[in-house]
Amino acid sequence: MKLTISQLSKQYPRSVWGLRDFDLELVPGVIGLLGPNGAGKSTLMQILATVVLPSAGTVKWNDADILKSPDTLRAVLGYLPQDFGVYPNLTAVEFLEYMAAIKGMDAKSARSRIEELLVVLNLTLAAKRPLGGYSGGMKQRVGIAQALLNDPQLLIVDEPTVGLDPEERVYFRSLLSDLSGERIIILSTHIVSDVEAAATEIVLINQGRKIQHAAPENLLAQLDGKVWQWTIPSYELPTLKQKYLVSGIIRRENLIQVRVVSDASPSPEAQALSPSLEDAYLHLMQNGDKS
Amino acid sequence: MNALRVLYHLTRADFLERVRRYSFLITLGLALFLGYSIASGQLTLVVGQHYRGMLNSAWVGGLMSAMVNFFLGLFGFYLVKGSVSRDYKTGVGQIMAATQLKRPIYTVAKWMSNFAVLGAMVVVLMAVAVVMQTLFREAPVIQWWALLTPFLWLVLPFMAFTAALAVLFETIAGLRGGVGNVFYFFSFIIVVTALSAAVWLGASPALDLMGMGILSRSMGQAAQAVYPNYDGSFRITWLVPQFQIFRWDGIDWTPEIILSRLALIFVSIGIAALSALFFDRFAPARSQPSRRMENASDSPAPAPALEAAPRSNLVLTPLPAARARFRFGALFAAELKLLLKGQRWWWYLVAAGLLLAQLCAPLKSVHSLLIASWLWHLLRLSKLGCRETVYNTRQMIFSAPRPLANQLPAAWLSAFAVTALLGSGALMRFLLAGETFSLLGWLTGALFIPSLALALGALTGSSKAFEALYVLWMYLLSQKVPAFDFIGLTPQSPLSAYVLLSLLLLCLAFISRSTMKIKTMR
Repeated sequence: MKLTISQLSKQYPRSVWGLRDFDLELVPGVIGLLGPNGAGKSTLMQILATVVLPSAGTVKWNDADILKSPDTLRAVLGYLPQDFGVYPNLTAVEFLEYMAAIKGMDAKSARSRIEELLVVLNLTLAAKRPLGGYSGGMKQRVGIAQALLNDPQLLIVDEPTVGLDPEERVYFRSLLSDLSGERIIILSTHIVSDVEAAATEIVLINQGRKIQHAAPENLLAQLDGKVWQWTIPSYELPTLKQKYLVSGIIRRENLIQVRVVSDASPSPEAQALSPSLEDAYLHLMQNGDKS
Repeated sequence: MNALRVLYHLTRADFLERVRRYSFLITLGLALFLGYSIASGQLTLVVGQHYRGMLNSAWVGGLMSAMVNFFLGLFGFYLVKGSVSRDYKTGVGQIMAATQLKRPIYTVAKWMSNFAVLGAMVVVLMAVAVVMQTLFREAPVIQWWALLTPFLWLVLPFMAFTAALAVLFETIAGLRGGVGNVFYFFSFIIVVTALSAAVWLGASPALDLMGMGILSRSMGQAAQAVYPNYDGSFRITWLVPQFQIFRWDGIDWTPEIILSRLALIFVSIGIAALSALFFDRFAPARSQPSRRMENASDSPAPAPALEAAPRSNLVLTPLPAARARFRFGALFAAELKLLLKGQRWWWYLVAAGLLLAQLCAPLKSVHSLLIASWLWHLLRLSKLGCRETVYNTRQMIFSAPRPLANQLPAAWLSAFAVTALLGSGALMRFLLAGETFSLLGWLTGALFIPSLALALGALTGSSKAFEALYVLWMYLLSQKVPAFDFIGLTPQSPLSAYVLLSLLLLCLAFISRSTMKIKTMR
């Protein structure tokens, strides 16, 4: 099972590039696609989900070109778009039955899978209510359910935790971990903690280009001995920000505890810390290293 | 002063948002087409059975004003309605609701923006009027006052009124959707024509919203002076007779007429301001529909979340290998459920009553009952082809295998099935009576209606175009206008052309769907 992206580009009108010369090879696991808003994550997701055509490049699913024969991938694809709707007069069961029919599932498999998904996503009690009355989190769970209907080998989830409360967000992260195994899961987000919790590999993207593709531990290793923490008076913060990459601050009355990424110790009082993924993300986004 | 500034910026932003849309160009194109139809004589005004005025500035201005008021009064409403709904959908309304914005300011700004859009179309048609008079050369000297005053005193006040009604309908929850669209059509036909007729019979011009009574009275008097046999009738028609010409120098703009037209503008502003009373200021709690409306508006009231986030670990049973074998029957059943879901019991009761009436009524009434039955599912059909856009499910559906080849035919077939079922009483009657032409007409109608709905929905991404056009089509069909007869009501009915048109519409739906902004890979 392999997804190969080669020289993929997407150009929008007025010479705006959504994606530029993007190369990537993915194998089973949870791949966190991390980048700021407007980095090109959703464009990449939509191309991989076969709903948008690229301007150039190829995408291969197990050596089959999905731009030429998208149905090869669609049969094993589960997709949760960033922004999606539901039919408000249908119940969760009816909506999932509709989506199962659209995906071409047989009746028996569809029925048992819907029952199973309603249980694991805790939608059983609301299953017979019209979707128009669902909360944002419940609708998101219905979206997750439709993505999992056909037991997808490639699961694409685009900004799945936006609009979820903290409890639901924690659940969703563990759900992705539970689902990993013999499938490729692409999790697109700009929330570092989501990726930190679930991803086995991380792809950093900015301005339509790949910045880095590495395992989380390798990203963290790049910052070993480069993250520092100490306390400064509040008025020193603007000067410090001009000199160093500040990756975190905590206010303490008139003082501020700062977290800084720097090759050398920035202050005699600074203590070296273990790097976090957020430190690595900010560092790589600022430096724009390509690998 | 600040209120005026707010009003200006609200109107400006709303107007710019609309005119920068691709659909506005289509709207202007339609206005040009209307102008061309009039200028080329395909659509005209007939006084009596076969009289028309010499094509001088007064007649061209009067003719164009009558046409603009009739067609823009009817379709302009559908074109401008939707501005408030857009603020609901985009969430801009929520942002505005959190400001100090006053409701009357908002509704009056929406009226001004509606009026500006309609005004832009009127300007296009004024230009067509000038070109028309120049080309025909029956009276080559353009008299600007005579040409433009009908636009100024008849068209603009009525456009102001239409713009205000669009705001009013959008602020009343029950009239915001398809029900309001259908209600407007029949109200327009009945109320406006009745008032114009009253003015023609001598009532005050203040009652003549469209100005048609003022025009017909003035033109009729000029015709009668030349042709004493003039029968008093006045109509817009597609069937152009051999004309006899008379000279008409325009309306005598008395202070009474001018005051009544100015009053209509003030009434329009009043309606726009009064709409604020019904406007919920984007607060869902205030606009929470009644149980009855809830079902009519496709948006069930929010219910409290019954369940908290799930806690169990996710372990899914693997599916058997033969999972992706496509079943058209299942998709057809799912589309059928989607089409019919959400209707109240009385909808089915009326549908059953109409079906029973088709079976029991005298044969000569069956066609009329068939028209009523096929009009009854208008609001269901109007979602065809655009449901995925309206409810934002496109990405999920288009990422499924063969969305064009599977989902679109299933959606069409479900609409065909419902149309056929609603007209099945008439089908049995025609079969039993051996009425071959009526049978062919029935079949043509059952093919044409879902094809029209699917094509318009896929093309426009909205239900409004079908709702407006289909009601007009069915109205003209009920009036037995042969060109609009797709069910074999008249002997001249062009059934074969409608079969061809149905196929073209289906092709159009497929092409439109495949070239949507979110490009599907086939």
